[in-house]
Amino acid sequence: MLTRMTVRDFRCLASVEVEPHPRLTFVVGRNAQGKTSLLEAVCVLMRLQSPRTSTRSDWLRFGAESCLIEGVWEQHLLRHAQTKSSRRLAVNGAVCSRAAEYLSASALVVWLDHADMNLARGGAEHRRRHLDFTAAQLFPEYLTALRQYDRALRARNFLLKRDINISWRQVDAHGVIMDKNSAIIVRCRRELVRRIQPWIADAQLKLSGAAEAASAVYAPGFEGDSLLAALENMRDAESRTRQTAVGTHRDDLLLSVGGRDAGAFASEGQQRTLCLALKLAQARVLEEEKGVAPLLLLDDVFGELDPERRQALLDYLPRGSQKIVTTTALHWMTDESSDASILRVEDGNVRSVD
Amino acid sequence: MNANYPAPIQRLILLLKSLPGLGPRSAERLMLWLMGRGHTRIPELAEALVHLRNHVTECPACGFFIERGAACLFCQSDKRNQKLLCVVESAADVLRLERSGAFSGIYHVLGGKLSPLDNVTPSDLRIESLARRVHELQSEEVIIALGSDVEGESTAHYLADLLRPLGVRITRLAQGMPAGGGLEQVDELTLHQAMSGRRLLES
Ligand SMILES: [Zn+2]
Repeated sequence: MLTRMTVRDFRCLASVEVEPHPRLTFVVGRNAQGKTSLLEAVCVLMRLQSPRTSTRSDWLRFGAESCLIEGVWEQHLLRHAQTKSSRRLAVNGAVCSRAAEYLSASALVVWLDHADMNLARGGAEHRRRHLDFTAAQLFPEYLTALRQYDRALRARNFLLKRDINISWRQVDAHGVIMDKNSAIIVRCRRELVRRIQPWIADAQLKLSGAAEAASAVYAPGFEGDSLLAALENMRDAESRTRQTAVGTHRDDLLLSVGGRDAGAFASEGQQRTLCLALKLAQARVLEEEKGVAPLLLLDDVFGELDPERRQALLDYLPRGSQKIVTTTALHWMTDESSDASILRVEDGNVRSVD
Repeated sequence: MNANYPAPIQRLILLLKSLPGLGPRSAERLMLWLMGRGHTRIPELAEALVHLRNHVTECPACGFFIERGAACLFCQSDKRNQKLLCVVESAADVLRLERSGAFSGIYHVLGGKLSPLDNVTPSDLRIESLARRVHELQSEEVIIALGSDVEGESTAHYLADLLRPLGVRITRLAQGMPAGGGLEQVDELTLHQAMSGRRLLES
């Protein structure tokens, strides 16, 4: 549980102190006042990364030399300081030189926002990134395999483009590395989809309030068991197109609602619910694995839902987890959700509302 | 006016900075030492560098260092098994394997690893001479002892593919080597075990 957080010079937040509610905190304010930045600060404090940017210097408030986020999570005092070019991490006052050390003391996080719609509507890369984010937290061997695969793939594509006469011996040497690592990636992704499948179905049913059966099926980016053999069959195509034709970098997650392809046939409401269901399934799977509920950060998700789905979502959010929710208005809030605290954000200042 | 060190010092810092592993700060620290307590060591250092340039070279066969005109510790020794060839990335890896005491054959120093993304191609490495040596020495076994990162692994497979038609047995170090690391990351005992437990490199 996040009990206290201090933020200094982060985005538009000059100096903010908050004490989130053990279960549910609403962060309320008009657009561009700093709601999302506050939520982002929580995410950075816990995972050292942000869904909004991969450029860390973006976090610094205009004109500031450094930013600081400090918070107490499960008896650990976490401290993250960032300058334009470097960062300093500490747990309970002791400096952590390795990020892994810090991350093992902080919370797992599930972030939900309107960009999640890309899971249903966008290209396969959005769904792969979603799988990667979860798999990396579940399977220790996953990230190394993914990095090695990507590096070998980049080298292989480079080789295919570089020479007029393709040096297949060099190309194939990289295919072997891709094959070895794709075996690990495919096994983990398959296992992950197996674990999230029941949760997606469950979440979709409860969130939609109707019998909308949802499913997610893993679709590998090559046929057969051996990527090496699949690549071998693509020689002609690769000589023409000059890029790697098959592989686990073309994997997809096929989503459907009521038996029909979600991207093409589902209504906007159904798609929205499905994307929420995917994210919440991720939270359940992480909880099952680690025994601790992840911190749920919901950025402006409620405003886009109709009242029934909104209430259904509120009811469905895992009871044991701590939730921080940004929203522009609270008029829809009912008595059931009143066991919550409210923070009002205005022009980079945060005050708590009784 | 912008204050700076006298020109010779600026030149030295520029030179030191261009050396691998030395950033601007360590270059400056080294300069301060040379201007202070290390001042008396300068002639000795300068002489050592010139001597290195004039008297030390690579063995034309294996690529390990020798003094000009001297015999190679490995290639010209009848105590080494000349039919057993171990391919390594650098001369430092030769000594690492020697200290492990697990190997009695001869070496071939590649001088790097294939890395298309860093523009390191087969012609940048001692690969042609490797194929020639394997043929001339009629090697019975080639042990590929490269790191287990993407570059090390793909180089290993490239070499295996290249050498296989020569009918030589191609092996690699056993598992137990750290993922993504080179020989410099393991202790002698692990290296000894990796060498003794080497296995066939399959295509
Ligand atoms: Zn030699």
